[in-house]
Amino acid sequence: MTLLVLYLLALLDGLLCGLRTSMGRCPLIRKRGYYVRALVRGVVAAQIVSVLALAALVLTGALSPHRDALRADLESAAGRMLRIFLPYAALVLLNLALRLLPSTDIRSATSVFMLGPLTAIRPLVMIVGVLYGLSKSRLLETRLLGLFILALMLSFEFSLNRRAARAQAVQIRTLV
Amino acid sequence: MVQYDPGTLQRLPVRKQQLLDVFARFGNHRASRAVTALPENAGVLDDREIDALLLTVHWEMQRLAEEFYHGHRVWELLRPVVTSIRQAGVRETLRIVDLGCGIGYTTRWLAAKISLADHNIEVVGMDFNSTLIAEANRLASAEGLPCRFLHGDALSGEHSSHILVSTGVIHHFRGDALLDFLRRHERRETQAFLHFDFQPWFLAPLGSLFFHQLRMRTAIARHDGVLSAARAHHARTLTEAARASVPGFATGIYGSRIWGTPLPRVFHTLIGLRPDLVPGLRRELGRHVARLGELR
Repeated sequence: MTLLVLYLLALLDGLLCGLRTSMGRCPLIRKRGYYVRALVRGVVAAQIVSVLALAALVLTGALSPHRDALRADLESAAGRMLRIFLPYAALVLLNLALRLLPSTDIRSATSVFMLGPLTAIRPLVMIVGVLYGLSKSRLLETRLLGLFILALMLSFEFSLNRRAARAQAVQIRTLV
Repeated sequence: MVQYDPGTLQRLPVRKQQLLDVFARFGNHRASRAVTALPENAGVLDDREIDALLLTVHWEMQRLAEEFYHGHRVWELLRPVVTSIRQAGVRETLRIVDLGCGIGYTTRWLAAKISLADHNIEVVGMDFNSTLIAEANRLASAEGLPCRFLHGDALSGEHSSHILVSTGVIHHFRGDALLDFLRRHERRETQAFLHFDFQPWFLAPLGSLFFHQLRMRTAIARHDGVLSAARAHHARTLTEAARASVPGFATGIYGSRIWGTPLPRVFHTLIGLRPDLVPGLRRELGRHVARLGELR
């Protein structure tokens, strides 16, 4: 169950990373299709990251001499990570929901006071979440897996951003 | 970065050293670093590279307008202004000109979201920068929007407008240039003007720095956003300049405080309209009338 929740959070993060890296790169007014493609790209990228993480997990489990202890240790580390990730995700979703209210003031305020800062602290939340999760783990395998997943999570938005920047640069070259 | 001859609208070469000297005079090292990185040919900024950068920056800036729902903000005030002009008996198609429109977000948003035919209005964007105007026309045509963009000076005798609108433009005019800019609004057919701009506040430059670091990807856009917040005019400067320059309009500030609290909005609007339109505007604003400051 804990792993499933972490997987769903990774998908949500992928969705929002896809959206964020595409923003400011399409100057049309009606661009629902553009954003849908960006969201799909983010989810697909999150899926790839999740598969890599799962592969590492399965491989570690297969090679570990103490499989049951590893499972328990991983479950407990993942549970601790959720204590950081879940409130963060809830805060993001709450602010996105607030943007549905038809008030330019509320929408602008969510952007300035909440979504902006929440985006800024995303890498920090990831680092703190994983380190807190690993803080009480007993096995080296759990710690290495956690750090591997952290590296994947941190490089994820960077890669999406680079891809979007390249596509934008090519498009702009055709215009000047 | 880009310079035009105001008479012929021909693009002029910009020497990098000239720009560096300007920023050195103000001790603005951040801007100097951004300028140093700009591509050049024998000391002159490379037009093609600068155009590519400008488009990138303006695409990014549109993101901010989208995030701040700027189209909604403009229409929220423009609609009652249009209605009050109609109530005063003007029946012809109202021409709304967005001056200094850049790639024309506001104009295109209005054309995309508002039924211009129902309101019998036309929207036109104008800018001195031909690259931005070409891009605005390309985007409008890509989406089949009923608006157009012209390269030129919206306040020159060649162009007329019933309502003038701008966003983030007025802080570029200072001192006598601000008075002159506003004085040029005084034309027989012009019924109103709405200039949206950042509102200065002691935390605004800091907030702008944080926000632009997060949202903008180019050094120029980051720097320009902060500078704009720092250079924004106070409400008093704007109203005093407007009252001195265009006495034929009732002028004031719209939307300076949030919900009657002392908290300032990010944007405020210098509004000017013919005095006979004021009662109609107050009526049409409905519950938003509290956002309207003194008009005189």
